[in-house]
Amino acid sequence: MVRTEDFNILVIDEDPDRAAIVERGLVESGYTRVARIGTSHNLVERIQALAPDIIIIDLENPDRDTLEQMFQVSRAIARPIAMFVDKSDSSMIHEAVAAGVSAYVVDGLREDRIRPIVEMAISRFNVFDQLRRERDEAKAKLNERKLIERAKGILMKEKGLTEEDSYNLLRKNAMKQNRKIYEIAQSVITAFQLEF
Amino acid sequence: MGNKVRLGFVPLVDCAIPVVARAMGFADQENIELELIREMSWAAIRDKLSYGVYEAAHLLAGIPIAARLGLGGVPVQHLVVPMALGRGGNAITVSTRLYQRMLEADPAAMHGPRGLSARALKKVIDEDRASGRPVMSFATVFPFSSHNYELRYWMAAAGIDPDKDVNIGVIAPQRMFDSLRNGWVDGYCVGEPWNQRAVFHGDGVIVALKDDIWSRSPEKVLGVRQDWVDSNPDTVSALVRALVRAAEWADEPGNRAELAQMLSEESNVGAPYDVLKASLDGRPVLRPGEAPTEVPDRHVFYRYTATFPWLSQASWVGAQMKRWGQVPANTDLNQVIRQVYRPDLYRTAVKGLDVAVPAHDWRVEGTNGAEDRAFVGPDSFLDNSVFDPDLAR
Repeated sequence: MVRTEDFNILVIDEDPDRAAIVERGLVESGYTRVARIGTSHNLVERIQALAPDIIIIDLENPDRDTLEQMFQVSRAIARPIAMFVDKSDSSMIHEAVAAGVSAYVVDGLREDRIRPIVEMAISRFNVFDQLRRERDEAKAKLNERKLIERAKGILMKEKGLTEEDSYNLLRKNAMKQNRKIYEIAQSVITAFQLEF
Repeated sequence: MGNKVRLGFVPLVDCAIPVVARAMGFADQENIELELIREMSWAAIRDKLSYGVYEAAHLLAGIPIAARLGLGGVPVQHLVVPMALGRGGNAITVSTRLYQRMLEADPAAMHGPRGLSARALKKVIDEDRASGRPVMSFATVFPFSSHNYELRYWMAAAGIDPDKDVNIGVIAPQRMFDSLRNGWVDGYCVGEPWNQRAVFHGDGVIVALKDDIWSRSPEKVLGVRQDWVDSNPDTVSALVRALVRAAEWADEPGNRAELAQMLSEESNVGAPYDVLKASLDGRPVLRPGEAPTEVPDRHVFYRYTATFPWLSQASWVGAQMKRWGQVPANTDLNQVIRQVYRPDLYRTAVKGLDVAVPAHDWRVEGTNGAEDRAFVGPDSFLDNSVFDPDLAR
């Protein structure tokens, strides 16, 4: 019987940042034998070499189609590998699907030993998602500010307004049309880009 | 407010039916708010359908059967098939290098019927074996795909053992073309646009079309969950009607240019218009730089009962699963198929509409020239065999 810490865990992810976050989470919880690979054309050989007990792979990864066939036919890999060990445990499956995690496990490993690993992956995927959303929002905010700055510049130059009046004009129109200021700014930029 | 249906699809020409149902208002007419979500893997689509992220999915004909049997190490899933999503579009493409070798090894086979072109491949394999070269690699898109069964059928008919004489792996459709280009595989069987694209780029040659192997072989189907069918029978009917109407529209030759345009959009298939158009027009280019070949039934969406979920076609898929050892030989697959494929749901949905439905759910397949040919379309296997589902138990 292997100890939990002795599991070979393989994380396959096309997103190296997410893979790193999952790996770190697992290592910090005491699973020291964690490997990760991105997408690879010699996936089969690499997996054979790493001989993982558990594979964590993002649900949407196209390599899953390759993996599933390999598990079916390969005699080089220890035993057929099943997804979500215990089928009665549907709450974890739903959580995993919602988070975009899928797992393949060497047949015969007990569910209670797999569960913490899959749960860790789910929580790390969710953390990553949150981080990405925040990053995207920050980026979008920055772009909005840039648009407003550009539109103000155009109004100052073309209409001879002060910076404050330019901003107020954008804001007034936004309120009147029930739109966001950056949307009005975009319209101003587009309008002045037209060639007459 | 319509009934919301989230439908996952893989970017292939045969996602046309759901795409048209949404874009041309057929779903709206049935009061269905159809949301389409593009997926890049069959495993992902199967899981999202099974665990309730989607209500419906564009699936390979074999996936719901495999799911019901819990094959491939995946827990049993009760998926059902109320209709088929057309047929056609598959082909076997080999690298230009392998094509040259096949041409030199057996010019007669390469100039004969395309369904028998594997005879030339057999000679190349024999040459390789004699000179101690490693076996070649081929790819299909999923273990339970018609592509896998068509490729194996084509090889086996020429005396090639697909489990010993070659490696057959699985690669997701959109990765096929790069794999051929980079020399990771020597050939593949995949749906369009991935064959035509390899030819247009000069990296591959189409050596057999699905039509050349078995024109009536089932392709994609509409997959839904059993529990969803049980609690939403009217929505299932409405969805089937919307998709059947969409199929009829997509089959119209006059609509094919518009369809190619629609599919070329990045949110749908996202392939170049001319590649899609050549294929949809039934004028595929088989070899780089050559004139198109006339194949009028290259993509069949509606005619020839292409949306009817024939039990005998599903039985053929089941028989291939047995033939290649995916299920034990004593499995009563026709029993499973009756639970999974549901022509009764189709019949209920189109009742009263001017949609032609067959009198029976089963027929002997491969009987080209029989009295129902005009109704079910051309129907020959490359080896002129017939498939009797009664004998396939």
